[in-house]
Amino acid sequence: MLKGHLDMIVLAALSAGSAHGYAIIEEIRRRSRGAFDLPEGTIYPALHRLEQAGLLASRWVTAESGRRRRVYALTRRGNRALAERRAVWEQFSGAIGDMLGGARPCTTPT
Amino acid sequence: MHDSDLISGYVDKLARELEFDRSLSVCVRQEVDDHLWEAVAADPRDGPLEAQRRAIVNFGDPHVIATQFAVVSLAKHSRRAGVTAILGIAGVFIAMKMRVAWYAATQWAICDDMKEMSGIVLSIDRYAFWLAFIAGLAGWAYISSCRTPAVFHPVYRRQVRRFFLLCTAAAAALFMSVLSDGVLTAIQLFETDLSVRFLVPILSMAIEIACAGALAWHVRNVTRRVASTAALLRT
Repeated sequence: MLKGHLDMIVLAALSAGSAHGYAIIEEIRRRSRGAFDLPEGTIYPALHRLEQAGLLASRWVTAESGRRRRVYALTRRGNRALAERRAVWEQFSGAIGDMLGGARPCTTPT
Repeated sequence: MHDSDLISGYVDKLARELEFDRSLSVCVRQEVDDHLWEAVAADPRDGPLEAQRRAIVNFGDPHVIATQFAVVSLAKHSRRAGVTAILGIAGVFIAMKMRVAWYAATQWAICDDMKEMSGIVLSIDRYAFWLAFIAGLAGWAYISSCRTPAVFHPVYRRQVRRFFLLCTAAAAALFMSVLSDGVLTAIQLFETDLSVRFLVPILSMAIEIACAGALAWHVRNVTRRVASTAALLRT
């Protein structure tokens, strides 16, 4: 189930600002309070795919450790895509919430 | 065992799995290396070797990651082939127009006994060019509208196959058009003494051949990537 929403999760994690792969995973863990504990390697194909779709942009920087690091950021199109997906998700989760938490089906004839 | 052995062994393995796309392999290798060392630095519990082991386990199977990257790479190269189709067709068109303009500017007329034959070749050229243009444009628009999936599922496989057919049709028609242009140029140059004004027709033909060749190369590249992605999924 998480796989189907990975793109939205990654976009949401980057909404706070630009970050590299490891920091994105940490942000996902932090925001989901550990509920979304993905195999870390799966985030990179998603990042490359989102960049290809024009939703993310990346640049290489040199980290404090001296290693080359790729930092990703949301593009304007990425921000719009996130807002759209958020709206769809809110509508969907609201409907599911109503279904599950709404009036119980009548079991006895009135 | 040396501290860096585990991580470098892992990134080497991942880079080897990504050999189907050399530039992607180099880039991912750097990213993953940075990721794993950062994970090790953040996990000082039982020494660096154990931290490396945990970081590698948490990262996942390199083969699975490579299959996910293969789809991204295939999508990237398919789109690139779509853009090449448009640019290649535009390049052939510009070269063609440049040559015709040169003939007009230098008042270089075709000899009378070749006019009938050149008329036939010209119609083949026109139809072939328009077919290449329509198929190339359709291919580019189609692949641009396809969303890159996370996995190489049958729907995406069909989409790539359709794109491949459109691109192959565009490349074949473009080759036919370039071949017709070659014949027309040869007719034009027929019985004309070799001089500097030959340069423009020859140069424009070279541009046309390069454009058609680039498109064919990209189409072949897409086929190779489909095959390598399918092979990765099978293993």
